[in-house]
Amino acid sequence: MLEVSGLSTGYDSHVVVLGVSVDVREGEAVAIIGSNGAGKTTFLRAICGLLPVSAGDVRYEGRSIANLAVHKVARAGISFVPAERHLFPEMSVAENLALGAFPNRPDPDQQSLVFDLFPRLAERRRQAAGTMSGGEQQMLAVGRALMSRPRLLILDEPTTGLAPRLASQAYESLAALRTLGMTILVAEQQVPLVLGLADRGYVLENGAIQLEGPSAELRDNPTVQRAYLGVV
Amino acid sequence: MTAVIFDGLVLGLQFGLLGVGLTVVYGMGGILNLAYGSIAVVAAVVMSVSMRAGLQAGPAVVLGILTAAGISLTLNSTVLKPVYRRRGEDRVLLSLLLTIGVAFIIDGLLVWRFPIEALGLNVGWEPVSIIGVRMRAGSLLASAITLLVGGSLIFFFRATTTGKAVRSVIQDEVGARLCGVNPAAVRTLIFALSGVLGGIFVATQAMTSPVPISAGFEFTITALLVTVVGGLGSIRGAFLAGLILGIVNAMSSFYIGSYITTIILLAAAALTIVLRPSGLFGERA
Ligand SMILES: Nc1ncnc2c1ncn2[C@@H]1O[C@H](COP(=O)(O)OP(=O)(O)OP(=O)(O)O)[C@@H](O)[C@H]1O
Ligand SMILES: [Mg+2]
Repeated sequence: MLEVSGLSTGYDSHVVVLGVSVDVREGEAVAIIGSNGAGKTTFLRAICGLLPVSAGDVRYEGRSIANLAVHKVARAGISFVPAERHLFPEMSVAENLALGAFPNRPDPDQQSLVFDLFPRLAERRRQAAGTMSGGEQQMLAVGRALMSRPRLLILDEPTTGLAPRLASQAYESLAALRTLGMTILVAEQQVPLVLGLADRGYVLENGAIQLEGPSAELRDNPTVQRAYLGVV
Repeated sequence: MTAVIFDGLVLGLQFGLLGVGLTVVYGMGGILNLAYGSIAVVAAVVMSVSMRAGLQAGPAVVLGILTAAGISLTLNSTVLKPVYRRRGEDRVLLSLLLTIGVAFIIDGLLVWRFPIEALGLNVGWEPVSIIGVRMRAGSLLASAITLLVGGSLIFFFRATTTGKAVRSVIQDEVGARLCGVNPAAVRTLIFALSGVLGGIFVATQAMTSPVPISAGFEFTITALLVTVVGGLGSIRGAFLAGLILGIVNAMSSFYIGSYITTIILLAAAALTIVLRPSGLFGERA
């Protein structure tokens, strides 16, 4: 579904991600793990059009979307949930969700799906997004991303700023989405959580892929255990 | 007293409309369009000249409004192009410098080509009494138009998909793009809307007193005051600030004298900023 090959990107002339290749097949959940500053965010932003692709290609459902404008990538069926969420703070939950469906009118079935997944949002329909708690904002960000019926959901550190209990709840919701057939690509530092969700994972360090493999293999890998799982 | 407040309300509604045209453009990404008032005056000149050439008032006003929209769009797609490549304060500053330049050019051309032009729209109906106050028909028609346009704007921004898309870009441009909103298209729409509002504003002004070609700068300053008091990028705030400033304006011209009104308006604006640095509705939209 998504084939990233040899992608390089960065800020101005300063290259941060160099020659990264990542595949996501339909129905899969794929993890990108790596420490602070490894380039995970930079990599995801380039896929979504928020940063220029300086080398390599991004193919989605058979066509190149490298350097496509952000709104065109979104309309092609890829929803990105950034770590900073980028909600519309002065708008209500309902309005935020409605914009997720742009340019179409919000689809009631999809909205029910979002409210089933996050009953909290249904209770808070009229509340301004900016006044909600971190956990609720995270739910809204995912809910808004789902309103366009995306075929691929990309998330950057969905646990940012969440207490451990809320972080695992966030991953429970993603697991529920998986069972509905959603394809997911997620960057995460909380390695045990994300490997619980993902089928496969990539380890990104210093802007390059160091390791890749099925989640179970990564979990048993001594390097991964030392660096990310706190095993000594 | 009641009559003065009524005058203030009539004026205030118009100020609000004028302010919205500036504030939405600012909200769209830090462009302060200082040519705004001058573009509105071009609309007035087009209305006046085409009426003298024999056009009916209605079509002449529409022509003027369309001209203002056209100039506004041209500004967005030519002069402002380099501005969109910058971010933050750079963007605001560059937009200030470039649009002030455009304002000088427009004002200069107007003084050169139409030195004595002024737009007056005579609404020839009898005055009407409202709760004991005699109101000129021109004032009433101007208020009715302004309320109608203001109401439509609120409906547009609150209830339509496109209106929500505009607000989404004002509140979080990255979020809007991720939702599939094309900010460039929204910007085009907003610049056209801004020109239209400037055009409607001069038409309603001309129903109560003539609009001279030298009014551009004053219109821009008024719009700026409304925008700052109401909160940059806030549509509700612009209307509320317009009403407040309109009433202050009417009171001070009546009780003190019109020469001091501008100073009092500036003082009122300064006071608001001291009390509420982000304006009445600093939270935007
Ligand atoms: N806006 C920016 N301008 C310049 N350099 C940046 C910018 N954002 C990030 N970088 C640099 O790019 C590198 C990769 O950062 P990135 O945010 O992609 O890492 P990350 O893996 O997402 O880290 P984290 O887990 O902390 O979110 C870092 O060295 C960072 O300093
Ligand atoms: Mg990151």
